[in-house]
Formats: sequence, structure tokens, C-alpha cells
Amino acid sequence: MTNFIDYFLGGVSTGAIIALMALALVLVWRSTRVVNFAQLGQAMITTFIALTVRDATGSWLLALVAAMASGLIVGVIVYFLVIRPVKRLDTSGAIIATFGVLIALQALAGMIWGGDQKAFPPPISNSGYEVFGRTWPFSPYDLLVVVLLLVLVLTMTVVFTRTSVGLAMRASAFNPEVARLSGVRVNRMLILGWAIAGLVGAIAGVLVAPLSTLSPTSFDIFLVFAFTAAVIGGLDSLVGAVAFGIGTGLVISLVSGYTDSGNAPVVALVLLVLNLLFKPEGVFSHHKARAV
Amino acid sequence: MSKIRDLTERAPGSRLVTHALIALVIFGILTWFNQVVDPLMSYYLATAAMYATAMFGMTILVGLSGQVSLGNGALMAVGGYVFALTSLNWQTVPILGLPWNALWSMAFAGIGGVVFGLLIGGVAARLRGPYLAGLTLGIAVGVPAIANRFPELLGGENGLMLQVPYPAGGYASVDDGFDEEFIDDGSGEGFTEDEPIYEELPDEFFEDAPIDEPLGEEDMLSEDDFLTEDDFLSEDDFVSDDDMLTEDDFLSEDDFLTEEDFSTDEGFDAGVDAGGDDAVAEDEFIDDPGVGSELDLAGVDSGFIIEQWQASVAVSVACIVGFIALNLVRGRQGRVWQAVRDDPVAAAVSGISPSGSKISAFVVSSLFAALAGAVFAQILSYVGPGAFALGLSLSLLVGIVLGGRNSLIGAMIGAVILVWLPEFVLSLASDRGWEDQVTNNAPNFVYGLAVVLVVLAAPGGLVGGVQEVVKRVARR
Repeated sequence: MTNFIDYFLGGVSTGAIIALMALALVLVWRSTRVVNFAQLGQAMITTFIALTVRDATGSWLLALVAAMASGLIVGVIVYFLVIRPVKRLDTSGAIIATFGVLIALQALAGMIWGGDQKAFPPPISNSGYEVFGRTWPFSPYDLLVVVLLLVLVLTMTVVFTRTSVGLAMRASAFNPEVARLSGVRVNRMLILGWAIAGLVGAIAGVLVAPLSTLSPTSFDIFLVFAFTAAVIGGLDSLVGAVAFGIGTGLVISLVSGYTDSGNAPVVALVLLVLNLLFKPEGVFSHHKARAV
Repeated sequence: MSKIRDLTERAPGSRLVTHALIALVIFGILTWFNQVVDPLMSYYLATAAMYATAMFGMTILVGLSGQVSLGNGALMAVGGYVFALTSLNWQTVPILGLPWNALWSMAFAGIGGVVFGLLIGGVAARLRGPYLAGLTLGIAVGVPAIANRFPELLGGENGLMLQVPYPAGGYASVDDGFDEEFIDDGSGEGFTEDEPIYEELPDEFFEDAPIDEPLGEEDMLSEDDFLTEDDFLSEDDFVSDDDMLTEDDFLSEDDFLTEEDFSTDEGFDAGVDAGGDDAVAEDEFIDDPGVGSELDLAGVDSGFIIEQWQASVAVSVACIVGFIALNLVRGRQGRVWQAVRDDPVAAAVSGISPSGSKISAFVVSSLFAALAGAVFAQILSYVGPGAFALGLSLSLLVGIVLGGRNSLIGAMIGAVILVWLPEFVLSLASDRGWEDQVTNNAPNFVYGLAVVLVVLAAPGGLVGGVQEVVKRVARR
């Protein structure tokens, strides 16, 4: 039982980070109906930028801000240079283009920062709390991750439900034509969607780096996890992305704990296949019928 | 009605013969090329033929059937592992009791590919666009990880070493070009910087080490230090360059050319005479000791240089697969795939099963991928999760998109690009004095940008772009 609690607690912060990544995928999907397979490539680049800033200034907070700013910019750049020209042509083209961006970004990071695994030290202690005379696998850093996730989700919920910009974004995601007729500047909302997604992805990247290591390809596996969570959640549901992001993190942690960490990608694959076979429209989707 | 049919459909037999001729002519040219070039070029030829084999399947899956798949690297892993396991563990064919040889392993690799293709295709046929891409991405990452799950059987992270099957006469043990291979291996497979180093070392190094003893990565590295640098490289140089190269040069001259021509002519006859079942007939013709004897005819008395043998295996497989692909693409099935891609509803109304068509595309492409994986295992003399990582799947996608995803010629051009570009960048880098990390990543950077540009500017890839230009010129 203590084993179970340990594995469960160990999965919380990973789950929170996967939730953030899934959130980024969902934001992009809602705005442009494209799954951005380059999302975590962008996050990897901004995390490298954050690491550079951190090494230069010694401040984790500055690093986070740098990552967020660059994430925003990279998101907008990718949208303008790649997605906007290709989007209407064909879906295959858009998918292939995002993979092209991913390949180019990974190579770019390799050219600038090298292919080695780099350590990204956490801002606060990453060793577990000691309560009741034993060390639990939940550290102050894990707490910080969870708190940041909650703050972000709350902010986004408020923005999406209580502000006019949020309403316009939801409208253009729900039905671009009608939104445009109602005077919503849909194009700006799409750009905003990519920008926010880039920002959220960048935060996720900075947060996950201390838990693993940082290299041009170290986020590949998280792309699979985040995609799994986003799809199970319905791909256009923010709530679904968060819930199943955390859920995916917990399942992976439990499976890794009880068996072997090498099984994690296989588990994600099984979850994905089961979902696509039995509930292809996702659990939290707005659209009841979805041709997958 | 009958007149229309006459115009659009030639007799199926004549098309088979035409396709067989195309495949055999390409086989003949590449076999001749393999004989006259140095071992390093043979190695490139082998790699390109291996890529082409897998990418013929990508043409069908991504191009004609319109399903963007990243899983074909994982399907290559299936073929590679089946090949390695069957050739390592089985001395006789189960049930049949016949003596084992590499052809059986190839056949079982193909069967493994078909089984996996059915499994994945059954799921994938229900998915479209991003869902399919995401699922196959999961397969590309997840399936190689299975090797870690069964370390006793599959060798875990270290993979399995295997002896390259060679012809009865044996091959000359000339191992030059290894340092070039060393560099190329890393760049050719693309996108993973964290690949295990040992995979790029010469085979001989591993044959000394007992495979069943678990070796840590650290051990490998330190042993590597003992082996390396001056001695081995210089020895290689002594053995290789001068003697072998000049011999090759002698062989390639005029007399032998004509002899080869004769033998390929016989080949045509044999292939055509065997009649209806061309695929099988050609199979026998090429893969029997035929290759060995034919090459002996051409004057290679000293047996094969290993790179040349690997290249001739890879070229044979690529030509057989290309022949099958040509028949499928230019036949009814090719039109069915395109019909479903362009309009599933209209296709269904015309009596075509959309899911059946998608599954068949998956099965065919995974058969091709598995055969390519078996060839890859022979080229590397190794299978392991590092060799079949996500980077390999991405390479296949890059190659097919750059070459042109709608044609088999595009697949071949893509395969050449995948082999040539890293070498080109490497030579550029040595001229300009770039840093290593820039050099190593530059090819992928170019790939990535090129893929985006092609999608934006010329969705048909290089082949499509050329066709477009020709069309415009013709219109004027």
C-alpha cells in the first residue's frame, strides 16, 4: 500500500506537466484544427533558452520569463511561416509540415547547444518531504509544479469564460464563419491561440527539465504522452486535457513503479489504442459525433 | 464500352512483362554499379536500396492511400528482429525440417510485417489525419521500447549482434571504409543523438565479446578506448585501398561488361519464361545462388567483399519489392487507394470498401518495411532499439516527402537524398571547418526546412515539381 501511495505521489507532478503539454496541443487544435507535433520541439528550444538565461543570470524566475516570452514568439512565428500558408491545402500537408518543423528545431538545438544531456537544476529542493518519519516522493518542487498548473488553469478558465477575448476565442474555435459574421476577428484569435499554446508549452518545458534531463530529443516521449492525454480528453476540451494529463501521469508512474520505466511508452500506446477503439470522440469532447 | 476498355486497359500479361523488364534492367544496372565501385560506395548503395525498399511502402501508404504514418520505422524493427531471432536461434525450418538459410529469415520477417500491418491497419483504418499520425508516432516510440521489456530474448538496450549471412564461397574479409561507415551510421539514421555508440563499431569488435554476458554501456566505452585510433585504422588502410581498388578497376573494364550483359539477358529470358507468376519466378531467379554464380561469372574470384554482398542483397530485395509495388500502384489496387484517399464516400458508393483499402495499404507497406528492416539488420549486423528509433521513422517520412510522395520514382530519389545529403554536408563541413555539433545536425536541419518548403511550395516533392515544370513548358 505504501508502494502504491509512493508511485501515486510520484506521478502527480509528471501528470501536471503532461497536462500542461496536452493543454498546449488542445489550444492549437481549438484554434486551427491542427495537431502541432512540433509543440514540444518549440518547448525544447525555449527550455534551452531558459537554461542559457539561467546560467547567465542565476535566476530561475528570469529563465521562466524568458522561456514564456520566447515560447510566445516561436508559437506565432511557426503559425505565420508554416501553418497559415499550408492550413487550407490538405491535412496531410499540415501534419507533415509540423513534423518538418520538429525535425528542424531539434537539429537547430543540436547545432547551438549540442546533443548531450544537460542538467537543469530545480529552483527549490527536489528531495521529498519528510512526514511521519519517512521520506515521501513528493518534494517542494513537485508542489511548485502543481501550484503553477492550478494557477494557469484557473487563469485560463477565467479568461475563457469571463472576458470578451475569451468569448471571441471560444466563438472562433466553435464556428469560425459565424464568429466572423458576428464581428470577431477570427485571424487574431488563431494567432492568439498559437501564442498562448507556445507560452503554456514553454512553461511545461521549463518545469519538466529538472525532473529528467534536457537534450534536443528528450521531449519526444512527452509528445506521445501529451498527445495521448489530449486525444483521450477529446482534443478540444481544456478540462479533458488537464484531467487526462494528470491521469496519464499517474498511470505511467504506477506502471513504471510496479514493473519497469521502459514500459511507459507501451502503456501510453495501449491507452491511446483503447480510447480510439472504444471512445473515439474522446471523453470530454464538445462534439458528440466525431469522425476520427 | 468495349472500346474504352481497350484504350485504358492493356492485357495484364503485357504490363507484368513491362514491369518485370523495368525491375530487371534496374537490377542489372545496380548490380554492375555494385561491381565497379569501391566498398564504401557499395555500402551507400546498400543503404539507399534499403531505404527505397521501405519507402516504396511509404509511397503506397502516405502517397496513394493518404495515411500519414510514422510507424514504418517500428515495422522495420519488427522485420529486423524477426530476421535476427530466426537466423540466430533456428537451425532448421520448423515443421518442414529443411535446413535454415537467410531466405527463410527474410520470409519470416515478411510474415511478421504482414501480421503487424494487419494489427495496426485494423486500428488505423478507423482513424484519420492527426489521430493516425499520433497513433503511429506512439508506435514508433513504443514498439522499439518493447525490446527493453524482454532483455533475454531481444537483447534489451544492447540489441542483438548477428552474423551477416554470406554466399557459399565466402567473402573477402576486407574491412576498409569502416571509419567512413562510422560517421555515416550516425548521420544516416538521423535524429537521435543519444544512440548507443557500440552500434557504430565494426562487427569484429563484438564477435570477441560473449553476447549473453550483460555488458554495461560504460564497459563498452572503455573497451572502445583500448581498441581505437591508430592501429586499427592504419591497418585497414594497408589492407584495403590499393590492392582491392585496382582489382575492382580491372574487373569493370570492357570484357566483363559484355559478359554481364549476356548473363542479364539470360535473366530476362528466365524471368519471362517462368510465365504467369512473375513475382515468385523473379524471386527464385534473383535470390537463389543465382546472384553468387552470376557475379562469379563477372570475374570476382576472390569471393565477395562484405559491403558488396550486402549491397547485392539490398538491391535484390529492393528490385523485387519495387516490381511488386509497380504492379500494385499501376494496377487496379493503386486506383482504389487513390479513390479512397480523394473521396471515401464516392469510393464506397462505387463498391470499394474504404477501410479494406486503408488496411491493405497498411499491410503492403508494413510488408515492405519489414523486408527493409531485415536488410537493415544485415547491413548493420545488428538489431537494437537505437537503430530503429523515432529518427528512422522520421527519415522515411522526410525521404518520401522530398522525393515525391505520389510516385515510386519519388521514393527512389528520396532514398538517394537520405544517403547523399549527410555525406554532402559532411564534405561541406570539412571544407569550411564547421564544429562537430553543427556538422552532425546540419543534415537534419536541412531536412526539416526542406520538408516544410516542399509542403508549402511543391506538395508533389521533387518528382511532382519536375512534372509541374514539364507540364508548363509543354503548354506553351
